[in-house]
Amino acid sequence: MAETYEEAEEKIMKSGRSSKAFGRLIRMIIGQKRETLLLVTAVVISAISGTVYPLALGYAINGVVQRNAILLALYALLFILSYLIRFFFNRLRTITSTKLAQITVKKLRDDAFSTLQYTPMSFFSKVKTGYLISRISNDAENLSDFLTFQLPQVIGGITTVIISIAIMSYLDFSLTLYALIIIPVMVTFTISLQGKIRKNYLRTRKTIAAITGNLAENISSIRTIKSFGVEDRTYDDFDMLNRKNFSANIKASFLSSIYGSAVNIMESAGIAIVIVAGSMQLMSGLITVGLLVSFIVYVQEFFDPVLQLSQLYNSYQASVVGLVRIFGIIDSPTEASFSGLRVNPEIFEKLEFRNVYFSYGKEDVLKDINLTIRKGDKLAIVGHTGAGKTTLLNLFLRFYSPTGGTIMLNGTNIEKVSIKSWRSLISPVLQDPFLFDGTVLENIRFSRPEVDLDLINKLAREYGLDEIFDSLPNGLATRVGEMGRNLSEGQRQAISVMRAFIRESPFIVLDEPTSQIDPESETVIIRSLKKYLENRTLVLITHRFSMLPLADRIVVINNGMVEGAGGFHDLMERSPTFSELYSIHNAGKR
Amino acid sequence: MKKGSSVFRVFSFIEPLFFSFHYLSGRRRFFVVIFGAAVALTITRLLVPIYIGHAVSSIEERDLSGAISSAVFIVYVSAIAGVMRFLVNYLSQYMSQVYAYNLRGDLFRHLLRKKVSFFENETSGDLLSRMTMDVRASRNFILATMAQLIPTMLLIAFSLYFLFNIRPVYALTFFLVVPLLIYTGIIFQKKQRTHWRNIRLEYGRMNEELQENITGQRVVRGFSAEEQEKRKFVNTTKSYYHEYITISRLRGLFINLMPLIVASAATGILMIGGSSLIKTGLSVGPLVSAVNIFIMMGFPISFLGRLIVFSENARAGINRMQTILSGTMEEDFASGKDKIPGNDVEFSDVSFSRDGKLVLRDITLRAYPGETLGITGKTAAGKSTLASLIPRFYDPTSGDVRLGGISVRELKLHTLRSFISLVPQEVNIFSGTIRYNIIFGNNRNSDDRMRRVAEISRISRFIEDLPEGYDTVVGERGITLSGGQKQRIGVARALYTEPHILILDDATSSVDPQTELEMLQAIRRERGDLSIIIISHRDSVLRFCDRVVRIEDGTISALNGEMPGNEKSATGTKRAGALGDG
Repeated sequence: MAETYEEAEEKIMKSGRSSKAFGRLIRMIIGQKRETLLLVTAVVISAISGTVYPLALGYAINGVVQRNAILLALYALLFILSYLIRFFFNRLRTITSTKLAQITVKKLRDDAFSTLQYTPMSFFSKVKTGYLISRISNDAENLSDFLTFQLPQVIGGITTVIISIAIMSYLDFSLTLYALIIIPVMVTFTISLQGKIRKNYLRTRKTIAAITGNLAENISSIRTIKSFGVEDRTYDDFDMLNRKNFSANIKASFLSSIYGSAVNIMESAGIAIVIVAGSMQLMSGLITVGLLVSFIVYVQEFFDPVLQLSQLYNSYQASVVGLVRIFGIIDSPTEASFSGLRVNPEIFEKLEFRNVYFSYGKEDVLKDINLTIRKGDKLAIVGHTGAGKTTLLNLFLRFYSPTGGTIMLNGTNIEKVSIKSWRSLISPVLQDPFLFDGTVLENIRFSRPEVDLDLINKLAREYGLDEIFDSLPNGLATRVGEMGRNLSEGQRQAISVMRAFIRESPFIVLDEPTSQIDPESETVIIRSLKKYLENRTLVLITHRFSMLPLADRIVVINNGMVEGAGGFHDLMERSPTFSELYSIHNAGKR
Repeated sequence: MKKGSSVFRVFSFIEPLFFSFHYLSGRRRFFVVIFGAAVALTITRLLVPIYIGHAVSSIEERDLSGAISSAVFIVYVSAIAGVMRFLVNYLSQYMSQVYAYNLRGDLFRHLLRKKVSFFENETSGDLLSRMTMDVRASRNFILATMAQLIPTMLLIAFSLYFLFNIRPVYALTFFLVVPLLIYTGIIFQKKQRTHWRNIRLEYGRMNEELQENITGQRVVRGFSAEEQEKRKFVNTTKSYYHEYITISRLRGLFINLMPLIVASAATGILMIGGSSLIKTGLSVGPLVSAVNIFIMMGFPISFLGRLIVFSENARAGINRMQTILSGTMEEDFASGKDKIPGNDVEFSDVSFSRDGKLVLRDITLRAYPGETLGITGKTAAGKSTLASLIPRFYDPTSGDVRLGGISVRELKLHTLRSFISLVPQEVNIFSGTIRYNIIFGNNRNSDDRMRRVAEISRISRFIEDLPEGYDTVVGERGITLSGGQKQRIGVARALYTEPHILILDDATSSVDPQTELEMLQAIRRERGDLSIIIISHRDSVLRFCDRVVRIEDGTISALNGEMPGNEKSATGTKRAGALGDG
């Protein structure tokens, strides 16, 4: 279930190969030259010092055997010295690896966030919010664990093994071969088991993702669940997913426990081999007791890195999947024309839709739209729900681009004009008055944080919205709550209108701003709009006639086409849709 | 006092363990098995350095067969240790998964019972992270306790015993070190605690900012606030970064300090033991055993430091989960009558306040069987709250709501809620097929009925035009529906259960007025006996109603239309004049 959705998303994100993503990550890390250098130094020195102590121990033992107290003291000192060096450099390693990991994770998060601000709007209708959040916060977090702990540990471990083997070979080559005899066995064993372990591990991740998805859906639908009294069935569905996750985890841990134990037994076998082979060499006088002791310790040191390496692969898999996804977000195409011509608000003359077509996928939602908006026009666009009004607005705000035809600004193709400067001409009031958690004031100031309180109060009074704001428990300092849920629809829409007014741009665009609110609030908002509109250009989208007096020209959209344009009486005669809408509206009048 | 608090901290460290017992009932005997296996594991593990020492002694004495038999013993005890390790690891995993499974189930069961008002005070992201991240954090601690902490503690205890047997002074050296290790651990825990708390806070804030930014993209772009939003986010990730760096400094010091302490003790033993051996000329084997025991300890002890972090996270998680598990704000599903004699709704002197604010006051109102009652009024006047009192999403602060003469409080919740269907303005579409979404909540699965209600709801044309018809997948994993389509599916879903009372709470606000009217007429035609309560602003809808009440500032301000007496009103054709804008 959850897989299919992930697959769908993966298609949208065009995720790349994991090896490539990892290479890119490494390049990002290496870009931090100072920290990388410090980390490499720390890892190498602590690894070297990790190979010194078995040797020091062996020589100290030799000192004891040879009854040489000075030798003992000297090597005991070397023994503790190697630990001391290790302490300092491991400390450095911990700090720099965290720093590198966190710098990288921060950069990934910031970049992904930045991309989201500039992707085409269609991106958000295809990918769900929860997915994006979980990529940017969760996956990045897993990556930070991988980079902070596992990776440096394994690199250190491997360095230790290589240096150990070198020292051992130097000390006694044939005994080294005996010590390494167990390694091929272990590698074969690891490879044969890891495939299965990985598969199980992947199952645990998929099952937990299914649980999260199910929970998210049920929490947001709790009223519906209660209304229909389906608590038991909902629980059973959840329990099934929970059970699947349980059994996937049990299977995965069975295999990995077997693996862990087997590696430990092999480690002992390795020690036993060294003891037997070593004692035979010792008998023939080839090596000393101390050397044998060193070898025994070296063999023990081998196996930890190997165990870690096998675990590393799992967390590599987990974090690289996340990494590929984050890069997928970062690399999503952004709107091309954030750069481009600048518009000077003074010289806006007209906006023309020329034979514009648009489709979200299969069918054309807008067909052959021709429309001209001149400076100072007050244009209303009416039509039934689903006629294509909001789509027209999406094109107008350039959330989407036409799939056919062109939109011209002052005679230039609007695609050549920078989106940013085009949008700066417009104050939008959207159907859903989205508010950010914070105070009313912060929301009003959203686009212009520098605007001072006096001006806001003055404008609120001027446009008659002050009554609504004054009625709030703490006035403008009232907290709106998550998604503005502390406020009523009317209050939210008033804030959204005020937010648009503050922008003082020459254009105002309204998308059914009063469709969800009561007639009283609507009256207040219409009155304030009327004042604000003097000397400004208006595009209003509505299926309510109550707002039509704001407009001096009406365009009727039906089935994605312009059915008619003109004045009220004109359209009553010519446009069947318009008269139909009117009669529905009028049915309510006394 | 200060000492007392440190001791208390050591105990609070294992607090999550007590919490877990409840979720491991019936499986507690596995604890005994794990503990027994851990003891066996520790002893067999410690025998390896002992036999290494023996082997070295044999070699010193040029006794090849002695060395070989030591080697054989090493393999032998390691094999036993391997089996024991498997038992400890696997059973610990098993237990921790049982814990997670039971805990998650319990959380979800509690969640489903919570009152609606509970969900209004919690963000869904918060609830979600409690049921995933917090469960995981506490599970990790349970696992680490069984698989790491217990074996390490046993290792320390048995090491003391083995060292004592080799030479009491070795045990004494080690014994001096243990309190130092514990003390280091406590200091570390104390110092990093606030930083972890900050990290969790910053993480939460980062998630909130993401959520807001993504859902509010149209506003962000409409107002060209992209740069400003980026700055805000970068600031949050920056403070997150700084907290992590502070922790890494602490961790760098303390986690690496622990092995150093152990190594100093090993050096002490090497010096003391070595120089006395030089004097006595005894075998070097036991000394090798002792030093090897110390080397073995290094890794498990450094892991203890991480365990402290695990415990911190687990305890924070458990605290958060308690709000769900505490059993407060839950509904009673068990008790009550399960017969409702009639389908009229009566509010008598109903008042309702929320957060100390009076939302509804002294409402007395009756909806008669088969009547269509309209409710209108300003936004936030209390209309939705009034409707929510019927299925007991909230209970009135005073007064009573009655169905067929019986107070809703006396009814079994499921009986009450299956008697009525409430369609909210925001319809939840579940990921699944359209069929699933319409038949939702019904055991009886009838295709005919599904088609019939889809037709009444004026959505059947749309569905049948889809290539997969009723089997089209909708919701987050399928096609996106418009607001009006969602609402119409919501109405179809409500009709499918064949309720006796239908409440449309602004449920058709995104449907165009014409279709809306057709739908209402079709519902009326189909079910003459159905009591319908419609909350709406639209005049066309209000005109359709038999009677309309206006709610203003939480109370009924006007009533219009005729009261049906004993006779049922004609099914929706006889319309009373709607209230004007007043």
